[in-house]
Amino acid sequence: MSNLITRAKDSIYQVLRGLKTVAVHSLRIPTTKEYPDTMPPLPPHFRGRLALNVNPETNEHLCISCRQCERVCPDKCIEITAHKSPETNKLELIDFKIDHGLCMFCGLCTEVCPTDCIINTNDFEMADYSREALVYDIRKLTLTQGESSHYFAAKEIALPKPKPTKPAVTVTPATSTVKPAEAKTESKPAEVKTESKPEEAKTESKPAEVKTESKPAEAKTESKPEEAKTESKPEEAKTESKPEEVKTEAKLEETDIKSTDNDIK
Amino acid sequence: MSTNLDTTNLKTDEMIINMGPQHPATHGVLRLILKLDGEIVRHVEPVIGHLHRAQEWQGQNRTLFQYQALIDRVDYLSGMFTSLAFAHACEQIDGCQIPPRAQYLRALVCEMNRISSHLLWLGTFLIDLGALFGFPFYPFREREKLLDLFEEIAGQRMMFNYIRIGGVQRDPKQSWFEKVRKFTAEFPDRINEYEAIVTQNPIVLKRTKGVGILDKSVAMDYGVTGPSIRGSGINYDLRKTRPYGIYPELNFEIPLGQNQGDTWDRYMCRILEMRQSNNLINQCLDKMPEGEILGKKQIAGLRIKAGEGFAAIESPRGVLGCYVISNGSDKAYRIRWRNPSFCNLAVLPSLLIGRPISDIMAIFGSIDVILPDVDR
Amino acid sequence: MLANSAELFKFTRLTLIWLTIIFGSVWGACFVVGVLIPTLLLHLGENEIFALLAQICQYLTPVIAILVFIPINAMFMVLVERRGLALFTVRMGPNRVGPDGLLQTAADAVKLLFKEDIIPTGADAWLFTLAPIIFFAPSIFGSIPLLAAITGNNDLFAITNLPTGIFFIIAASSVPVVGIVMGGWASNNKYSLVGGLRSAAQAISYEIPLVLSLVTICYLNQSLNVVEIASRQTGGFLNWNIFGGGALNGLDKYFNALINGSSNANDILQAYYPSNQWILTVIAIAGLVVSTIIAFFMYITAACAEVNRIPFDLPEAESELVSGYNTEYSGIKFAIFFLAEFTNLFIVSSIATIMFLGAGNNPIPQFLIDYLFKNVTFIPQTINAITQALSPLINQIHLINPITFWSVVWMIVKTYSLVFFAVLVRGTLPRFKIDQLMDFGWKRLIPLSLLVFFIVIFAKGVINTNV
Repeated sequence: MSNLITRAKDSIYQVLRGLKTVAVHSLRIPTTKEYPDTMPPLPPHFRGRLALNVNPETNEHLCISCRQCERVCPDKCIEITAHKSPETNKLELIDFKIDHGLCMFCGLCTEVCPTDCIINTNDFEMADYSREALVYDIRKLTLTQGESSHYFAAKEIALPKPKPTKPAVTVTPATSTVKPAEAKTESKPAEVKTESKPEEAKTESKPAEVKTESKPAEAKTESKPEEAKTESKPEEAKTESKPEEVKTEAKLEETDIKSTDNDIK
Repeated sequence: MSTNLDTTNLKTDEMIINMGPQHPATHGVLRLILKLDGEIVRHVEPVIGHLHRAQEWQGQNRTLFQYQALIDRVDYLSGMFTSLAFAHACEQIDGCQIPPRAQYLRALVCEMNRISSHLLWLGTFLIDLGALFGFPFYPFREREKLLDLFEEIAGQRMMFNYIRIGGVQRDPKQSWFEKVRKFTAEFPDRINEYEAIVTQNPIVLKRTKGVGILDKSVAMDYGVTGPSIRGSGINYDLRKTRPYGIYPELNFEIPLGQNQGDTWDRYMCRILEMRQSNNLINQCLDKMPEGEILGKKQIAGLRIKAGEGFAAIESPRGVLGCYVISNGSDKAYRIRWRNPSFCNLAVLPSLLIGRPISDIMAIFGSIDVILPDVDR
Repeated sequence: MLANSAELFKFTRLTLIWLTIIFGSVWGACFVVGVLIPTLLLHLGENEIFALLAQICQYLTPVIAILVFIPINAMFMVLVERRGLALFTVRMGPNRVGPDGLLQTAADAVKLLFKEDIIPTGADAWLFTLAPIIFFAPSIFGSIPLLAAITGNNDLFAITNLPTGIFFIIAASSVPVVGIVMGGWASNNKYSLVGGLRSAAQAISYEIPLVLSLVTICYLNQSLNVVEIASRQTGGFLNWNIFGGGALNGLDKYFNALINGSSNANDILQAYYPSNQWILTVIAIAGLVVSTIIAFFMYITAACAEVNRIPFDLPEAESELVSGYNTEYSGIKFAIFFLAEFTNLFIVSSIATIMFLGAGNNPIPQFLIDYLFKNVTFIPQTINAITQALSPLINQIHLINPITFWSVVWMIVKTYSLVFFAVLVRGTLPRFKIDQLMDFGWKRLIPLSLLVFFIVIFAKGVINTNV
């Protein structure tokens, strides 16, 4: 009987102790992170959406089409289209596609990249309405100069040496000219981009002309001169990206690009 | 108190219940075919394989470098340990030197991972016991802090890909070590809080004491390992019995169950292990040497020498073994996992027969089975 | 300063807003049905039919009050539970829908109402539909006698003042288990079946200690009428049933006389507790106080089991039986189960308040208030002034009655405190096992409640013979 009473007493004490511990918790500050309102503080090495760097200083595209990332990817979600430039005999990047619906964000591609071109950004909000929209092409992947310099600084990557060879520069207009159109669709802080836009416009004008001369085959597809609304530079970007890319672009919902694409057809 | 209910005189039809794979308390996709006599279990048949992802096959068809990124998924609650087992096996074949700093970092992150795994277990165990709404949030709160720390060094919260063949992937900054120290400083208080709520709670005691007694002999027959066998009083911990890494240099005792090896003992064992791991983290931080972190260059065509190697380590769930045969190419010829959850699950039917339905969850929860670890 | 003052403040604000909504709407409905419509009808003409209609309207008031109260109150209680659990688990809880999460449960209710109503294959459609109704109906008619006690026997609710109120409530509260068993059986699901059977066993076992602890109080108050039991507990917490069911009445009066400097303080004490048999008297009173306190906690425990709250939520037992008897329910039927569950919690809490915690009476003794605010005259003056100003309204159209108002306020405070305690328990304790539940019920609670009952009978006898 006394055993019963002591046991009952002990049980009640233990229950009250538990209740007290729980009740005291109500005086502590909640640990909830109210995510959409406040973004979580992500470490620089967080493995988020994949992106391609440009040289933070010169705005050159860093990809050299070595296909290391394509080869190492365990999911085979990277697809690089490149061709050998006839006059320089060097690889030229035409398109770079990553299927983020397939990617498992292991970050192996970023480890093997010799030029630190492909990186994991801190962006993780990639929800979309269709699987096709998760296939990012080079326009969506390439970062602006400002973003690149941010990631170079955050990840403590050594800045790349400026490329000495000229022909490599010819790749850049393809990617950089599209950026103004893309800047509107992206919800990233806009200040950086608006600054960089006019600069790009200036720097591009020369190489763009050089290239159209070098590729006579493309000149015929581009023969319509009445694209008056957009300047001649964005127009060039399309002609470079070849028929196969036009198809995928039509799926993407970027209105600016779409309207111009229709003109080509 | 009657533990084994005797209903032999009340003969009724047996009822067959399919518990799972979509049952809230089967920790994923285990299916238990139960034959019930009233509420008493008369026959159990676990059906596994719903989560089979061919991890071994994938290892044989991917390069070693690629496979390193995948093995965190073998047991997603202790990714560091699966990486470590694989790395150990490969290093055994290759004979490459692991820098001491990498060794310490490995032990550090592994012990952190052990805590985070046990914390998740603690929360879900209490959910299994029925404290659904309050308590489980406390361990998950601490686990969140650990995952944030992992995120900082490895880049992701659960799929770390941090421990590599020949070392570790990234050298953390000093601020990270300070954050770990801050965590270890406050963590014992948190465990005290859990214990205040759970350990001596009369309902928990009633639900766990004398329930699911795992005999030493039965445990050894089935090859049970980890805290589940230490709860039964068998001192079998690979960190002591077959030391690997830098564990010989660390000072620690293996906690053992004090009673007959019931559910409560296994619970206590894990609680003590968390305290001990916390202590080990502190030791690692104190002894952390400077130097290199990678003894082998991480390139896409990572190769190891030809040969075969087996490494077993002590994961939060028991002995995790990895057997690798390499033919010298960048792919392994054969990979075989020895998963603790698989062996621990085998003992479940013998523990459940004759128990009421409520005990299924208490016992199943206490042996801490992770289904992806079972099915691979 | 409290670290979490922001969240606590939000919680308090949310509670107050919801309480205002609940009791504002209930009062509005009562006013319309019980006062406005009858008055209008009577002003229409001296017609017998109109008079009859007005009478019917007044009779309907309690039912309308309950029907308005139950859904809104259940929504509020779900929100309190979720926010309260969030407080205890260092979270924020639902704070998205509406300002500060105010409308979360309203949105949930709307969602449930619009969901597809599924009747599983092989289920007994009739019983399946009937089960939630049987589960829910008792909480409507069972709570009717409580209204008179809650509102301080207001004229409009006087009709609900049954002479055997508590008997009626207990009888009604044992009906829902039929609904659970019915739902469990009709669902054509083995988990549901086990849940239903568990529920039946549990309800039968825990009815006994529940009733015995209430019978103790009824015996002490010599009444089955909840209004009378409530009115016997006026004048401070010493008169509450939880402290001996009136055994400390003399003490209360003695302190009153002592503080007011009255000369006959000792006479009063002598009259209540004669000194010739003081040892026996003290023992009897101590026995009474202890046993009524035990009876209160027994009632709380058994009531938790009755309404399937943690740690006795075996019929639902999420980790074992998926969701027990309501596994197969969805949409509006599930909503009714949910509603009834929380309403039952409220009802058992208000029974505990009425039977043990002084119903709607002020917990602070009146003499203490008088003494403390002797020199502070402006407070009673203001109250008087307001009462004076509102008196035409009060007298003419029953806008508000001070007795009812304060009675309801104290009822709210006490009842929701108990509900909040249930939330705290839910946040702490795990679940019993069915055999342990039976053990606890039959081997502990029932003998204890019988013991308490006999102690009370003997102690009361001792006191009665001495006085």
